[in-house]
Amino acid sequence: MTAILGFLRGSWTISVYTWREGMRKKTLIGFLILSILVIFGSSFMTAFLAQTTVGAGEEEINIETKLIKDICVTAISIFGVLIAIFISASVVPTEVENKVVYTVLSKPVSRFQYLLGKFVGAQLIIIINLALMGGLFFVALYAKERIMPTLLLWAVLLTYFEFLVVSAFTFAVSCTATSAVLPTIAGLFIYITGNLTEYLKDVYNRAGQTGQWFDEMIGQIAYGLYQILPNLQNFSMKNQILYLQPNDPPRDVQIPNLIAYGLVYAVAGYIIAYWVFRRKEL
Amino acid sequence: MKNKAHIVLAALLIVVLGLGVLQGNRVRHLRESTLFYRWILAEATQARVFDDADLGTDAQGKKIMDRELLGAVVETTEKLLPDVALGAEDYDKDGHPLKKLILLARDQQDRAIWELASGNALAQERKDFLAYLREKRLTSVASEVRTGDMYTDQGVGVSLSNIFFGFRMLAANFVWLQVDKYWHEGAVHRMLPLMKTCVTLDPHFVDAYQIGAWHLAYNITAHMLDTPEHLKEWHPKYKARLGKKEIYYYLAIDYLKDGIRKNPRNYKLYFDLGFAVYNLKLKDYANAVKYLSEAIRYRHDKWVPRQLYICLELNGQYEEALAGWQDYLKRNPGHEVAQRFIIRNRGLIKEKQADEAWERAQQTQDPAAAKAAKAEAERLHNEAVDIWQSMTGGSGDIDPFASGRIMRIKALRLIEEERYLEAIAILENARWKSNALFDEASRMIMETKLKAGLPLSVSEKKAVLRREEAERYRNLPPPQTES
Repeated sequence: MTAILGFLRGSWTISVYTWREGMRKKTLIGFLILSILVIFGSSFMTAFLAQTTVGAGEEEINIETKLIKDICVTAISIFGVLIAIFISASVVPTEVENKVVYTVLSKPVSRFQYLLGKFVGAQLIIIINLALMGGLFFVALYAKERIMPTLLLWAVLLTYFEFLVVSAFTFAVSCTATSAVLPTIAGLFIYITGNLTEYLKDVYNRAGQTGQWFDEMIGQIAYGLYQILPNLQNFSMKNQILYLQPNDPPRDVQIPNLIAYGLVYAVAGYIIAYWVFRRKEL
Repeated sequence: MKNKAHIVLAALLIVVLGLGVLQGNRVRHLRESTLFYRWILAEATQARVFDDADLGTDAQGKKIMDRELLGAVVETTEKLLPDVALGAEDYDKDGHPLKKLILLARDQQDRAIWELASGNALAQERKDFLAYLREKRLTSVASEVRTGDMYTDQGVGVSLSNIFFGFRMLAANFVWLQVDKYWHEGAVHRMLPLMKTCVTLDPHFVDAYQIGAWHLAYNITAHMLDTPEHLKEWHPKYKARLGKKEIYYYLAIDYLKDGIRKNPRNYKLYFDLGFAVYNLKLKDYANAVKYLSEAIRYRHDKWVPRQLYICLELNGQYEEALAGWQDYLKRNPGHEVAQRFIIRNRGLIKEKQADEAWERAQQTQDPAAAKAAKAEAERLHNEAVDIWQSMTGGSGDIDPFASGRIMRIKALRLIEEERYLEAIAILENARWKSNALFDEASRMIMETKLKAGLPLSVSEKKAVLRREEAERYRNLPPPQTES
């Protein structure tokens, strides 16, 4: 028990240190400020509509609210994923570049412990940024509707688990690199391909139409990849959640399943990261 | 030792990825079931509310499969669901009992529908649904906008395949800003295809449907004259003769119905369809009642039932309107409008009963029965007058509507006594006193003049000609389609 507590304490110390260091990064602060500006600015975007639409009454107000919701959800998605990719891509390579990793690993800290600390630290940064953006969105929406937008919390939660998957695989790539550039590019690639996984099913459905073995083989490969690769489109529910009814049976079932889905792929990403990192020449 | 660690990590990764595949399949099943569930809700509502038994074909000539698939789903669920005692409302317009699934959807038993949609019992139907969805042969999901002929041969303007990552809804907002801009520039021809783009990008953009329909039914037609009957053309789709102006009302209906297909639980679309288009524009009170009755099934604003009861009154369903207002007053004690309309509908019921008694008196051959019926009509008219006299406005004056109704009763008595000129004078006064009575009083004046052989005014002659022309074209059989 003491050993486990000691192990966790070591990882937690590294996490907190990673978080403190990460929050000082200028790029990260830049993304955060931009996202806050966009979320704050969404209320002003509606001015375009208010000036032009006359006589629609209540619908005009509804469109304004919808504009705020859609802009904020999109801003959180864009800036949130940039923050997640940037931070996950840089926490390990920066330490390798600065040679800090040598000092840390020379202490009684295992590589697993170190990596877990780094990964959890990155997640703390993502969660805090997401909470800041989500909080501002919450305030903007409440100021408009005067109703507690509780469904927004579910949307933000699902957004986090989408970022967790992207972050875990970006983190795995970052463990192979010595600078943050390659993992950042890889992270963007992971996000894009993760959103395009659905197309692999289309490839599978269309393959085999010619009856040639090569065609069928491509279809089978596409289907295999479709099964194994994480599908970020599964999290698309976060965009609709704000417009669903309070009692929506599919939503209630999907949310815990999506959380479990995100966690499983995050663990897979972390295992790959550790597998790479434990063999790294340090 | 090193190899052993690799093997352990590789095995662990395979196990976790295996779990990922399993969970992925579970999530995929839930996503597909969700689509299927939402389609069942939409389609079950449409099958009950809309009359379009056959949805026709798509642009490529493929048959739209919603109704067939719903038929298969209903057939399976009829065996699975327990029998329920049917009430008076549980029959369709042909008197057939509504199917169990349709009743579940109507009564918003969403959990039960979800259990069916995600369970094994409807596995085959779900598979068929996904296949039809891929082929874009379903209209009740966000795969296609079917708004009739409005957009024929006009491009959508946005390639949906290029838009992913869930930013479609944001794009829809910006497209809507453009629609709004075009509207204020008067560029209707540019606005219409963009409206389609907007709701294609975000089929749950209810306000776009509402404002779009408002543009179509009101703003575009505001400066257009009513089309003369002989210039109207037969539209088989709408089963009506329509001119350039009138077609826009039906396009607004199509647009709102498309919105209802995608958002079957949103009262606003039913409300706009029933009240704004069928009631105010087409004066089709039966359909107005139908859609407003649907609107109040879902979570709605306070004014929605009030408009339903007003349409019930306009449709001559005074008893239902009275019951509705009484219920409304019970839920909103002291509501002044409800109190006023309760009295109003009581008066109208009395007048209706008096008119029926009068009709009986005219038709019967038995003098004693005729005398009794006339006496009954007289008594009911007196009761109606008493009710109208009790309707006072804030200043203590008799309400203009009530005053108009009293004049109408007086005029009917004068016509009975063949004192036509006096009756016409009273009706002239009545139609200017009460807006609601204008059409009815004008019609009564013309009928009285024709009955008494009195000369018609120029505007009355024109009105008679218009009515005759409309009647002539109404009775024309629809043109035969060329084979």
